[in-house]
Amino acid sequence: MSLLEFKDIEYLVGPEVHRIKVSGELPAGCVLNISGPSGSGKTTLLRILARLKMAEMGTVYLNGVSWDDFMPASWRRRVSYLAQKPALFDGSVRYNLVKPFELALVKQDVSLNLERAVEMMEHLYLSSGLLDQDARTLSGGEASRVALVRSLLLQPTVLLLDEPLAALDSKSSNAVIDLLTSWLVQNKDRGVILVSHTGDFQRLPNLQNLYLPVKEGGKVE
Amino acid sequence: MNSGVVPISDFQLAMSVILVLITGAISAALRLGLLKSLLWGTVRTFVQLTFIGYVLKYLFTFNNLWLISLMIALMSFVAARASVKRTPNVPQYPVSLAFWSILTSTLLVGLIVVRIIIQPEPWYSAKIVIPIFGMILGNSMTGIALSLDRLYGEAYARAGEIEALLAFGATPWEAIRGCVKDAVRSGMTPTINSLMVVGIVSLPGMMTGQILGGADPHEAVRYQIVVMLMIAAAVAIGCLLLVGLSYKKLFNEDGALKPEILKSRQ
Repeated sequence: MSLLEFKDIEYLVGPEVHRIKVSGELPAGCVLNISGPSGSGKTTLLRILARLKMAEMGTVYLNGVSWDDFMPASWRRRVSYLAQKPALFDGSVRYNLVKPFELALVKQDVSLNLERAVEMMEHLYLSSGLLDQDARTLSGGEASRVALVRSLLLQPTVLLLDEPLAALDSKSSNAVIDLLTSWLVQNKDRGVILVSHTGDFQRLPNLQNLYLPVKEGGKVE
Repeated sequence: MNSGVVPISDFQLAMSVILVLITGAISAALRLGLLKSLLWGTVRTFVQLTFIGYVLKYLFTFNNLWLISLMIALMSFVAARASVKRTPNVPQYPVSLAFWSILTSTLLVGLIVVRIIIQPEPWYSAKIVIPIFGMILGNSMTGIALSLDRLYGEAYARAGEIEALLAFGATPWEAIRGCVKDAVRSGMTPTINSLMVVGIVSLPGMMTGQILGGADPHEAVRYQIVVMLMIAAAVAIGCLLLVGLSYKKLFNEDGALKPEILKSRQ
């Protein structure tokens, strides 16, 4: 059984309104890389999988359970989306890491491990001194790495990443790929779906590719 | 000293046109382009107030509970419509939500004032109820317009943050709570500020009116204190109700932000 399976998801994208119909699956412990030309609806698909946007048709299953059987918030707690330009809250980096742990659904099943957070930050070349820095003063690359650490700390079942390397240089990109690899190795019951223009992710373990051509349905290669 | 009302005769009232001439002269001299609005506004002031004078006289004479209730409902509707119009950030907002929030807060606070505090005989005495409810409505209108506009303004500005929280598993309420707080605060701030300066910087209209009407200043002050506190309570309840009823309109049935809110971010 797949960790996440999406069947005949239909949605409209772009100013010229293309209808996309796509199916695919993500086995546990794997990475699914969604690629395709610009305007093929990659980000929209991620947002639909996270239930941040509604699909016209189709169903997504998490461990065989339809998304209709989840409360939307509970689904999003498990299938968590990280935007290409992630939003940080007003306040320090530490506050940004702590804030999600105030949510009722998060509190229920995970507590903040600040040591682990610092470990991950250092792995991504972010010093622990950054914790007390105002998040608004971070560069684009720093903000995107802090946001990734924040998302990983929350231990989603499926992490949806939109262009996670877009703001990063090659050194940081490699560090992100290493971090995701070790996260997947330690959490074999979880998975990652990502959208990326670059081929950098090809070295991730158990990588599968899904190509979204414009105007036609995508299919798993 | 004459303790009663100093009446204004028709001739004296006509003399107030001098004031319009002064305003008009300034507008004309500086070419403010306000002459037409000024004249139209003056005519409307005369007509509307004369008309409401007759309505009030009728209501005071008959003092009928149903007529008074009808009048309050009508005033609430007009206030709700006016407040929704004053919200540039809010597209096509249903007047009904504003109406129910404003009516509920006004009734709740108004009834406390007339039944527990002032206690006129009968309790629905039009002479007390209409001005009291009118003052509550006039002030709530501004408060709820401010808070509704702020709620939408904050949601547009912080759409990214709201969506990030949703993506972590926040309920819509958890995701929007910060915006709701700011919206209610923004609606209440002018009222709280007026509590600070009343009597020092400004003499409120009601108190001035009572004094001009021949009331003892001490008596007028007592009324004014009740009025200020009731306005603060009504604005707080009205803002909270309206924002509480409104925030769900920012989300779709899946509890995700509606696309029009997100678009403003791009």
